[in-house]
Amino acid sequence: MGIDWPRGIAVLVLTGVATAIFLREMARIYRFLRLGQGSLRVDRVGKRLLDLIVYVLGHVKVLAWTYSGVLHLFIFWGFLVLLTTILQQYGEAFVPGWSLPWIGNSPVLAGLQDLFILLVLVGVGMALYLRAVVRPPRFRSSNPLDAYLILGLITGIMVGLAGSRATAIALSKEAPPGWLAGAFLSRALAVWFKGFSPSMLHLVHELFWWLHLLIILFFLTWIPEGKHLHLITIFPNIFLRKLTPRGALRPLDLEKAESLGVGKVEQFHWKDLLDTFACMECGRCTAVCPANATGKELDPRRLHTAIRHHLVEVGERVIAARESGQAIDRPSLIGDVFSEDFLWQCVTCAACIQECPAFNEHIDKIVDMRRYLVMEESRAPDTILEALRSLEARGHPFKGALASRTDWAKGMGIKEVARDGPAEWLFWVGCAAAFDERAQKVAQAMARILQIAGVDFAILGGEERCTGDPARRMGHEYLFQMLAQENIATLERYGITRILTICPHCYNTLKNEYPQFGGNFQVVHHSQFLAALLREGRLQLRQPLNLSLTFHDPCYLGRHNGEYEAPRQVLRALGGNRVVEMERCRERAFCCGAGGGLFWAEERVGKRINHERAEHALETGAEVVGTACPYCLVMFEDAVKAKEAPFRPRDIAELLADAL
Amino acid sequence: MEIVVCLKQIVDPEIPASEFRLDPVTKRQIRGSHALVISTYDENALEVALQLKEKQGGKVTAVTIGEEQATEALRKALAMGADSAVLISDPPLLEADDLGKARVLARAIRKLTTPDLILCGCESADWVSRIVGPFLAEELGLPCVTFGTRIEPRDGKIVVRRIVEDGYHLVEAALPAVVTIASDETNTPRLPKVRDIMAAVKKPITLLRMADLGIEPGSLKEMEGRIVLQDVAIPVREARCEFIEGDTPEEQAERLVLRLKELKVI
Ligand code: SF4
Ligand code: SF4
Repeated sequence: MGIDWPRGIAVLVLTGVATAIFLREMARIYRFLRLGQGSLRVDRVGKRLLDLIVYVLGHVKVLAWTYSGVLHLFIFWGFLVLLTTILQQYGEAFVPGWSLPWIGNSPVLAGLQDLFILLVLVGVGMALYLRAVVRPPRFRSSNPLDAYLILGLITGIMVGLAGSRATAIALSKEAPPGWLAGAFLSRALAVWFKGFSPSMLHLVHELFWWLHLLIILFFLTWIPEGKHLHLITIFPNIFLRKLTPRGALRPLDLEKAESLGVGKVEQFHWKDLLDTFACMECGRCTAVCPANATGKELDPRRLHTAIRHHLVEVGERVIAARESGQAIDRPSLIGDVFSEDFLWQCVTCAACIQECPAFNEHIDKIVDMRRYLVMEESRAPDTILEALRSLEARGHPFKGALASRTDWAKGMGIKEVARDGPAEWLFWVGCAAAFDERAQKVAQAMARILQIAGVDFAILGGEERCTGDPARRMGHEYLFQMLAQENIATLERYGITRILTICPHCYNTLKNEYPQFGGNFQVVHHSQFLAALLREGRLQLRQPLNLSLTFHDPCYLGRHNGEYEAPRQVLRALGGNRVVEMERCRERAFCCGAGGGLFWAEERVGKRINHERAEHALETGAEVVGTACPYCLVMFEDAVKAKEAPFRPRDIAELLADAL
Repeated sequence: MEIVVCLKQIVDPEIPASEFRLDPVTKRQIRGSHALVISTYDENALEVALQLKEKQGGKVTAVTIGEEQATEALRKALAMGADSAVLISDPPLLEADDLGKARVLARAIRKLTTPDLILCGCESADWVSRIVGPFLAEELGLPCVTFGTRIEPRDGKIVVRRIVEDGYHLVEAALPAVVTIASDETNTPRLPKVRDIMAAVKKPITLLRMADLGIEPGSLKEMEGRIVLQDVAIPVREARCEFIEGDTPEEQAERLVLRLKELKVI
């Protein structure tokens, strides 16, 4: 076998050019990423490597959406398996007839390769059908040309590959290659080329061979240009993903930070910038976003693509300006790229994060921009500002509340820590259940249950402050940290270690965010506490409630903290087994509209989120919608009033108290 | 433009009515552990001052009479954007009446600066006497406009938009002047920027005692008015419920009308 130098060198030169283009673009993107803030620290390497196997190779999250998941799995695994054919091609370029050592002649490999050529084509067909025929709304804001171009290129690569294999079989007169037995597809295709003259066959083979190679090289240069960059970025993005609790926002060092929040693209954390390059524009986030679904401007996919486009547009100039120290003229991140409305429509429900196959973190980015608006510019919708002012002045966001923090407890004989000393459990009531007339009933019901079960508990009463959840999600990190520090000091002063709360927002903040400031407590949500009391037989039900029930998962209990079972256990204990699920439940639950501090916002654009959610509940035909969050409860009450819906929202504690 | 804003720190006026307590001896509200805030309209006055400063340049000084805790209110004013702050504090001052306070404020202002404009809230959100501003103007011999919401500087004078029951007046005043401020949508107090909050902690607050203002301990009484506070009480609200009987709706309606006439409601 002689060496085909001209062909070999031609392939090497072309590859060199394509690689150079690819690397130049990648270096540019790397420099843009370096603009971001924060340092790189990698912990828990084992877990992270495992994630790569599970989520990249195993596609676990991608497959959560079956149709698009399966088609993607075909294409992705097709590329892995068919990498062998690319290696093969480089060998062939120099040595005609070369094959991979050891495995090159294996009929099993050839069979797998043929199988995946077929599956990749099936995948492409499914993708085309989805985009061109089904047209789900989630693709509305994505660039269709980029998608079609890539699908075309993949088809081209497969055709080139299959064609060159089939013609190679047709050409080999004597001594058929060893792999032939497995190559079912190529063999079948070879039949078509039977009648070709040898020279013609040769020409066609060469055409397919080069088509395959050239498209691959073009593809390489195209990767950095669009969403297909995720082929590369998905690896670091999943490897470096946030492993801290989902519900904990990234803390901000108020003393050291150059900018309080993000007003310019280079002020984002570098990982947030990487997220935008890992976004494959699948639109799953947008499809599940309650704000987007109710006709608002917020679009979590556009959150990523717009940051990326903006960064690519201004990145070079920002780098140059850093060196020269000169200011540059550019579109403003808040204002031109994102409107303030866009940023104030997010309920921080994490539906997007739950679905994102790239593990992107949408909420951190939005809150970072809110931080800038609130702390650097003092700008926010009026009602949000009012809630912040109230939090600052009186430690709760309910300006004009008609009750004091302890009014709900009057005459119930409840211990207060300051007066009666700490008890086994601190009952953290939270502002909603203390000040909202409707939600007070939840606090009362819970206290009654605890008294019946003989649990030793006490409340902080007037010394309780808002945990700071709304302040933090409204972007006022300073106010949040003040409140957190004050609460931690109070809790530590009384030596409190165990906290029970009826509010998932308090639960999340106490449990996941206070450790950022040295406050480490055992925190339990009342759904978990009640489920345990029932399990241990510490509560005797007088009579089961004969009600048909459905359950609304609070975002900060469910998606942010992974607790879906406990509240359902309580409901099942109550009402036999008549718990009907809404179509969007558990991980896919649809927010009530109150999270992210938006309980205090006026919802002026589009349909109200709580009305939409009330319709979901209505579809189940249940008489009672159980919830486990005072804010969800109030949102449902409002929707029921507005829509005259025939069901009643109740907290699980209220339902349980009724049955005792 | 040199602007002085007079502020008062009060118990959060938003506390529920059931939490409101009076001390029968001093006839004052018991502070308890309630939040202390800048009186509502004083914050609007500060906002108007800050907006003027942004437009015109100049300096804003916040002045208050109060206890040590009132430094909190001044810090807030500094965080919002005031340039300097003055606390006038001496135990007897806490007992002084409105005229006495206005006279003390006047002395302090004269001692500190020669302002172009002095702003006060149109009324305090605790006692609502609405009188300190006008007294202060009187004492300083300056023109006074009450219930202003917006101030436009014009040719060395100011034009004040003053709210009245069915609209507004535009009042021109020569400077220096005293204006008491009511709220409208243009003077909602700003949320302080976090950097300013942090910077405000480091700004000095001038402390003045009565002696600094040349007030002898005994002479404060002479500065006060002749008003004697006799008594204060929390109004008792009573609600009674009465059922109107009747076999038919018509009969019920008829009896309801009769009863309402009896009660002289209609
Ligand atoms: S957190 Fe919820 S509201 Fe916010 S972008 Fe994601 S899905 Fe939309
Ligand atoms: S952010 Fe994630 S879910 Fe949203 S479009 Fe990008 S990859 Fe898809």
